[in-house]
Formats: sequence, C-alpha cells, structure tokens
Amino acid sequence: MHPLLRVNGLRRSFDGVFAVREVDLEVPRGELRAVIGPNGAGKSTLFNLIGGQLRPDGGEVVYDGDRIDRWPSHRRARAGIGVVFQGARVFRGMTVLENVMVGAHGVTRSGFLGAVTRAPRHRREEREILGTARECLARTGLSAWADRAVDALPLGQQRGVQLARALCGRPRLLLLDEPASGLRAAERAELAALVENLRTDGLTVLLVEHDVAFVSRLADRVTVLDLGQVIAEGTPTQVRADERVIAAYLGAEVSA
Amino acid sequence: MRTTALVLAAAAAALALPVVLDGRQLGIYVLAGLAAMVTVGLALLMGFAGQISLGQASFYAIGAYTAGLLTVNGVPPLLGLAAAPVLAAGFAAVVGIGLLRLRGHYLAFATLAMQLILLSVLAQSEWAGGAIGLQGIPRLSVGGIELDEDVHYAYLVLAGLTGTLLVARNLVASRVGRGLRALATSEVAAGASGVPVGRYRLGVFALSAAFAGLAGGIYAFYLGYLGPGSFPVLLSVEYVVMAVVGGLGTVSGGVVGAVAIVLLVQVLNDIGTRPGMPSYAPSVLSYAVYGLLLVIAVLYLPRGLVPALSRRDRS
Repeated sequence: MHPLLRVNGLRRSFDGVFAVREVDLEVPRGELRAVIGPNGAGKSTLFNLIGGQLRPDGGEVVYDGDRIDRWPSHRRARAGIGVVFQGARVFRGMTVLENVMVGAHGVTRSGFLGAVTRAPRHRREEREILGTARECLARTGLSAWADRAVDALPLGQQRGVQLARALCGRPRLLLLDEPASGLRAAERAELAALVENLRTDGLTVLLVEHDVAFVSRLADRVTVLDLGQVIAEGTPTQVRADERVIAAYLGAEVSA
Repeated sequence: MRTTALVLAAAAAALALPVVLDGRQLGIYVLAGLAAMVTVGLALLMGFAGQISLGQASFYAIGAYTAGLLTVNGVPPLLGLAAAPVLAAGFAAVVGIGLLRLRGHYLAFATLAMQLILLSVLAQSEWAGGAIGLQGIPRLSVGGIELDEDVHYAYLVLAGLTGTLLVARNLVASRVGRGLRALATSEVAAGASGVPVGRYRLGVFALSAAFAGLAGGIYAFYLGYLGPGSFPVLLSVEYVVMAVVGGLGTVSGGVVGAVAIVLLVQVLNDIGTRPGMPSYAPSVLSYAVYGLLLVIAVLYLPRGLVPALSRRDRS
C-alpha cells in the first residue's frame, strides 16, 4: 500500500533564497513522524507546503495517491488534512465551541441556500456538527470553556482549541507546527499524552518541532532538516547518534 | 428574553407607524426602510466577512434600473421586482471575481470606482434614459391590486426588510455564517479548516448586493422615475456610516443605524433649508456630519450602537 503522504523533490524559495530544496519524505499510515531542525531549516515552509498555505516552486506532494500541491488549503482539509498552526490562529470574536464547529467545514456541505431556508437537512447537519464539536472539546479537555470567548483563553488553551478544531474535521493526517512551544511543562505532558492517544486511534501525525526532548519520546521516526535539505532520517535514537545531525543542530544538547 | 421583547416592540412600532404617519413622514419611513435593507446586507459583508464596499449604491441602482427598465418595456411589475435582486447579485458575482482579489482599502476604492463607472455608463446609455433617466415606471401591482399609496409601499418595505433580516439571521447562525466570521479574522486558518474562502467571500458579496437590489427595485416602483443622479456616491458613503454607527457584526445594527441616520439627515435638512441659510448648506452639513459621525463612532463606539447598548444592560 502506498504511504499516506509522499513528498518528492519539493522546492520553494523566497527572494531567490531556498527555504526548502529537494526534500523527499514518506510517511506511512499510522506513523507519528517528527520533522526537526534548527531555526531557519525550512520546517515551517515544508509544513505550509503540505498544508496548502504555500505553493511549491517545484516537486510534488502526494496525499493518499492524489497529487495535492496545487490544491487550495480548503480542499486539502476536505481530503482529510488537519492543521494546527504554531501561532494563535483562532477565530477571534467567536466562542470556543464556535471555533471548533468551523473545523467541521470539510466534512459537511450545506450552503447559503440551506442556511437561509433552514432546510431539514441543514438542521440535522447543524446538530451533528454540534455533537462532533462537543466530543472534540471533551477530548482536548476544553469542555468547561465551550461558551467562553476564545480571545480570553491563554495561549496553551488556544492551541488546544486549534487541535479540537482540526479533529472536528475528522482528519486522517494531522499536521502540528511546534505545538509545544510556549507551553508550560504540565501542558507539554498533557499535549504529549493527547498526541500519543490520537496516534493509537490510527491517526497519522506529522509533527514539526524544535524541542528534541519532546519529539524523542513521541515520534516513531524523525526527519532532520538543515538549510532546507534532509540531512538524516531514522528512529529518535539513530538520529541522536548521527554525526551530521549533531554537527548541524544538536551539538552540546545531545552530548550533555 | 429581553432581546425578544425589544424585537417584538420594534416590530409592533414598525407595523403601527404607517397608519399614524402623515404623507411626508411616510416618505421618510419608506426611505429609512429601504436604507435599512441595504445596510443589513452591508453590515453582513463588513461585519461578518470583513470586506468593505464603498459602492453599495451601485447594487441599489442596478436593482432599481432592472425593475424600472423591465416594467417600462411591458414586463409584469412583480416579475420586474423579482429580477432586481437576482440581477444585482449576478452583477456582484461577476465583478466580484476580479474585485475580491483585493483587500482593505484597495477593495474599498475598487468598489467606489465600480460605482463611478456604472453611473457614467448609465448617464450615457440611451436605453437607460441617459442623464435624464427613466420616467413613467408603472406602480407595482400584486394580483390585480395596484399599490398606489405611500402606505402600501411602507408595508411592502417592511415585508422586504423582514425577509432580509430573517435571511441574515439564519445565515449568521449557520455553518456558512461561522465560516464567514472565521475568514474575517483569519483567512489562513479558515482555509485550513475547510472553509472555501474565495467562494464564501463572493457569496456574501452577492447576497449583500441582492439585498440592495431588492431595495432598489422597491424604490423604482415607489418613486416612479429614476436617474443616475438618484444614486450618488454619497449614498454609498451613507450606507457605510449607517452600518458602522449601528454596529457591524450584528444583524439588527443595520436597521438601528439606518433609522438613526435617516432621522438625523431630516433634522439637518430642516436646519439647512431654513431661510437665510446658503444654498449649499444641506449638502455641506450632511457631508460634515457623516464625517463627524464616523470619527465619533470609531473613537467611542468602535463596535457600534447595538453592541454598546446591549453590553450596558447586561452589566
């Protein structure tokens, strides 16, 4: 069976400077893959190329057998790619529950006409969306905040809202961009447990991360980027022992 | 509970007013209702989808001309009225494909330019009556009954406004409405959540145009004549002021803003046309007051009258 995600010779530059060059990557179904690298390694660019926030200059992104690198992001979401951004990309002015309900967009279809006429099918779908959203909030431990304005939540919880929102679209591939950054130790542990849990349920996860310790405990395999290129790939233990990785990035952190 | 009571009271007042108002006041009632229909659409566009239109009067004009031209050429008036929002929405959808690639100020200026172009095309088109405009538009008749009194039009406008408000309310509380509010704060996150950002922006632009088009259609039958001069750029500015003053991001804000501004303009007109006032007084006064109102609203009531008032009675 083909891998869920395959990236081939992917390239993207900004003002003539390569951010990602000739990156190859294969993520089999059910795997938790981490992509690590020092600042400026091209991690976020790669993330955005897969999620659909950026278009590549060359190369391809194949998801579940479809070439998706020219698809707009909403079409990728519909196909089952859920995204959690690093920044607080929540919908201000809406409640936590409403934020999560937006995530169901990819798996529902009623449009302007159904909404305006309140057709029975539309009302049924609204109830389903509400049910799914509440489940996702429960799963991320945010039920108590459901009716609060999302703006009032601290950063850690806002990231939880993003995760619940992504889950509400019933993804098959979950993209996480530095989900642990800015979190306190207890929040990190909770997040790690939750991601572990999602993987057990069969979700494929691509985790872009700076924090090596966080990744080592979680990931099945690790891909290391440096200067826009893959310099190593393997299990967390293999990667930690790789000399090029140590030279490029880990250095003292690992030997210590 | 309190909101329901307020809405019921407003509805009762709106139903009762046409009976007690005199002729001139009825005219104001009709104009306020039409402005409210346009503003509800604009508040949806600006408040929920985060897009600015400085050319909303174009869609009002297109609705009016559609209804006027069709009936002058023998199409049954009711059909002409039904065509008005459809054509306005269709026009918005077509120009929107290009315009909506723009954001913020650029979009505002592009919609303003759209209106200027439309006005000059109308003024030079013989089929549209040129600069003189269309005259002799028959009155609207429904099932053989001709609507020939102002009070009829007052109720027609009320019905149109009610429909507009229901559509807006249902939309806001739906999947699509949530998608619109989401894309207004973050297009990137909305897209990643599966919201087809481009299609939704176009959809809400067309819907706001449909509201304006319907109001324009009613206006054509109410007045019986139309000219390019009936749809100045100032009218578009007026709608923006109404939407901002009433409160973006609320459905009822459009109505509150429109009624407040129409009443204020009447007062200003009274002052501006007093004996001894220079002839340019009314227009100078209205421009100055629109500017002043916008500044005051943005400084002190950045979310508009409706949210400000409802917050006060909660605390």
